[in-house]
Amino acid sequence: MRRYVQSPGSVGEFSQLPLWQRAATLDLVYVGYGLLVVALVLASYLLGALGWLPHDPQAMNVGLINAAPFTPGHLLGTDFLGRDLQARLILGIQAYFLPGLLAVTISVVAGSVLGILAGYRGGWFDTIITYFDNLLDSFPRLVLILLVIASFKPDIYYVMVVVGITGMPVIANLIAGKIAFLRQTNFIEAAHALGLPAHTVILKHILWFNCRALLVIQATLGMAEAILVETSLSYLGFGVQEPTPSWGNMVQAGANYFLQGNFWPSTAPALAILATILGFQLLGDGLNNLLEGKRGR
Amino acid sequence: MDAPLLAVENLRTYFYSRAKRAFIRSVDGVSLHVAPGETLGIVGESGSGKSVTALSAAGLVSAAPGVIGGRIELRSHRARRNLLDGLERYVRVKERDGRIMAVEKDDRGWRRRAEALMEGVRGKEIAMIFQNPRSALNPYSTIGTQLVETIRLHTSVKGGREAKERAIHWLERVRIDSPRLRFDNFPFGMSGGMCQRAMIAMALSAEPSLLIADEPTTGLDVTIQSRIVDLLAQLKTETGITTLLISHDISVIQRLSDRIAVMYGGTVVETGRAAEVLAPQAQVRHPYTAALLASVPSAEAIRRKSYLQAIEGEVLDTIEVPRGCRFYARCNRVTEAVRQNCAGLEPPLGEVAPGHKVRCWLYPAARNA
Amino acid sequence: MSRTILDVTDLRKDYSQRRGLISMLTGQERVIPAVDGVSFYLRENETVGLVGESGCGKTTIGRTVLRLTDPSSGRIVFDGRDITRLSRAELRPLRREMQMIFQDLDAGLNPKMRVQAILREALTVYERPSDAEIARRIRELLEQVNLKDSKLANFPAELSGGEKRRVGIARVLAVRPRLIVADEPTSALDVSIQAQVVNLLRDLQKHLGLAYLFISHDLPVVELVSQKVAVMYLGRIVEMGLAESIAHQPRHPYTRILWSSLADKRSTEVREPRAWGVFDFEQPVSGCRFAPRCPLYQDKGRPAVCTDPASEPPLRDAGKGHVVACHFG
Repeated sequence: MRRYVQSPGSVGEFSQLPLWQRAATLDLVYVGYGLLVVALVLASYLLGALGWLPHDPQAMNVGLINAAPFTPGHLLGTDFLGRDLQARLILGIQAYFLPGLLAVTISVVAGSVLGILAGYRGGWFDTIITYFDNLLDSFPRLVLILLVIASFKPDIYYVMVVVGITGMPVIANLIAGKIAFLRQTNFIEAAHALGLPAHTVILKHILWFNCRALLVIQATLGMAEAILVETSLSYLGFGVQEPTPSWGNMVQAGANYFLQGNFWPSTAPALAILATILGFQLLGDGLNNLLEGKRGR
Repeated sequence: MDAPLLAVENLRTYFYSRAKRAFIRSVDGVSLHVAPGETLGIVGESGSGKSVTALSAAGLVSAAPGVIGGRIELRSHRARRNLLDGLERYVRVKERDGRIMAVEKDDRGWRRRAEALMEGVRGKEIAMIFQNPRSALNPYSTIGTQLVETIRLHTSVKGGREAKERAIHWLERVRIDSPRLRFDNFPFGMSGGMCQRAMIAMALSAEPSLLIADEPTTGLDVTIQSRIVDLLAQLKTETGITTLLISHDISVIQRLSDRIAVMYGGTVVETGRAAEVLAPQAQVRHPYTAALLASVPSAEAIRRKSYLQAIEGEVLDTIEVPRGCRFYARCNRVTEAVRQNCAGLEPPLGEVAPGHKVRCWLYPAARNA
Repeated sequence: MSRTILDVTDLRKDYSQRRGLISMLTGQERVIPAVDGVSFYLRENETVGLVGESGCGKTTIGRTVLRLTDPSSGRIVFDGRDITRLSRAELRPLRREMQMIFQDLDAGLNPKMRVQAILREALTVYERPSDAEIARRIRELLEQVNLKDSKLANFPAELSGGEKRRVGIARVLAVRPRLIVADEPTSALDVSIQAQVVNLLRDLQKHLGLAYLFISHDLPVVELVSQKVAVMYLGRIVEMGLAESIAHQPRHPYTRILWSSLADKRSTEVREPRAWGVFDFEQPVSGCRFAPRCPLYQDKGRPAVCTDPASEPPLRDAGKGHVVACHFG
């Protein structure tokens, strides 16, 4: 049995309602959680950059190894060398934050440029860029990354450049698709006919109005990707090396002690990875539904 | 009068807009009937509910809540039933001040029942042709295949070769050129006019009792439109098929209909014999019908290059349905004597002449109905 | 006598049908002439109607004349200036004088911008008015197109078809054009709203001295609003003259069929239809391109002159500014 009720009084316009009233609850939860994660990451990054850590992350305290959380003085416990986990986790963010931003910036900016060229100019541009995109997509990202690491140095920034470049095709396709869609409605042609200069049409009408949601979402998802790549590489030993903490290498280092019954040194960073990536993914997903979903369903 | 082939009584089909949290009252109490062999033309603009009425009759309304009340009685020599039989059991309606404010409907249950009721009716008794011929045909199979499929499904002809001959026979009857060649054509290889003919052939090959034509000429070029209208007129004479014709194009309605129903805002505002309702100098007429006819440039208006008589305001969107007459806001014939009624009370459909009904407070017969 | 504002001579627009990489390399592209040698002129304060069925090229003419797409050959002279080969930069300042109303109601209406923002943007393309001036002009525009003030806060999705059309017209008026190409301005609208829009367009012409190129397949409306009408078939003008002559004394067989189809739709007598062939634009035609469907051709026993590959019937003067492209017209 489905129930349909007409709200009494006169019928209002959907789009005049504030966003939080129009949205589905689950999406709001996603976005809320995601924003929380972003805030924490940002704050922790700043703390780490400024050096305001609760303990020296390298200070070893052999007397207090593998301490459990809530041990006095160590809120999140210590690892197998007695180093404070909280400090190390905070510092670990340094490993992926700026590199991740680099990757995201590359893929968004370069992807947009390619997408606009392909969609706006069409013709040859479109064909070439499509072929190029397909080519890029066919390469297994991990292989490319390992290649880069082997040819140059195992610098996380180099790796992130690769991640950024391999993230371009998706964005380029989305934007080119959006433009193709707008083309169908004579939208772009009409803007030209009025006399609007090309840069206004592209920047204002296409990118800002129609693509900004898309780009923000891709940026959050891109960040999630970047974090995953960095932590995986560090776990495998190719990324950040000991004693500099990275969540990935923390998991790796604690692995030896896992089977001995000391779960925490490995689990803490693993949970951090999970919670953070999930946060970015859900943010992207939630924003997608809120901003790009069918209006006024 | 013969018992009508199709009798629609007080049909209500509503849709729900979650965005606006309100009902779209597409068909809001529509009654009409079509006598055997007759063509009833339903004319109206967007939002009038004419297409939804047709879809409701064919049981093709799938959006929620859909059909929520009324009777649709089909009385052909092969079938006699109310296509909405038992609907009350699945729908509960809450009214306030005479207006439906809440609907509870068991969608799944009603769907099952409706399908059972429409068994053997849809496609066989009631055939339908649609507005955009190319999109209504299966793009992946030839029109021959689709025709044969229809024939084998809905008629007593089951053999493959027989069905093919029958299919070609129908293609000839719709005056398609080179029927045997066209049999193997795909819809994308045919022009709009030919696709429409093919669709008509498909509908009629099932030998239905009722043909519903929903905007059959809209979207086609002018010259093709007149050919299709010619074809429909000829088929009407040849087969005597009962037709429910829906269009916003008054000239098409005028050419093909015996009787007409004018719809506005989800209700029928005028109904009667085509010649009577559309007569140029008719005295008694619904203001909307009059205004609609005047919107189309007449030869006189063109000659004098005069401005068209446009109706003020926007077409009624059936979400915000006013209290009184639905046309009141745009009506230019309101007099002081009836103003209060027009503003506050919806006029009933009253008989102003035998067979001619108008829903307007201006006509005394309406008041006594 | 008013000035000629638009003069089009022998306009041609070809579309190449891409058949893939190989044929492109070997130069075997098929060229389809959407507009095949069209000439006409338009005066200030005048409306020239362009009618024809789908595929005849009338929309392409509209877009080419405004240089929204480039012509393949021919000459377009706008207000004395030859604009056929001007670059985009040189065209920009001229664009404000020649605008287009698109068939699509949503064209030019960014779904994420409110009507107020849309109009504001249009007003600031060529000028830099102050905020007060902008507000004044917006009010003026709304009045000109008969829109309520409350619509300013709405998004295009919240507007009805007629309202969208009006916003589109207001947007175009904001740049103060002198020529407007109206491409099917009424087709997507309800009949009662069409009348409103037609009246509006005529009003605007009267008050602002606009020239219209009125492209439509709605013959009665074209006859009503136009002084001159050109009938197109497969990329060429087959007949052109005063609106009344075209409608009541058509000389080209196609024009006759067009107008009689209209009458046929309305008449209640049943006639036996003529056998019509299907035309394929892509098939190169020899001689008169209407011959395959021409009843006159059939009636006269298929005279050879009609299919003579050497010549297509030229537009001949039939008196009083009326031209016909038919050997027998």
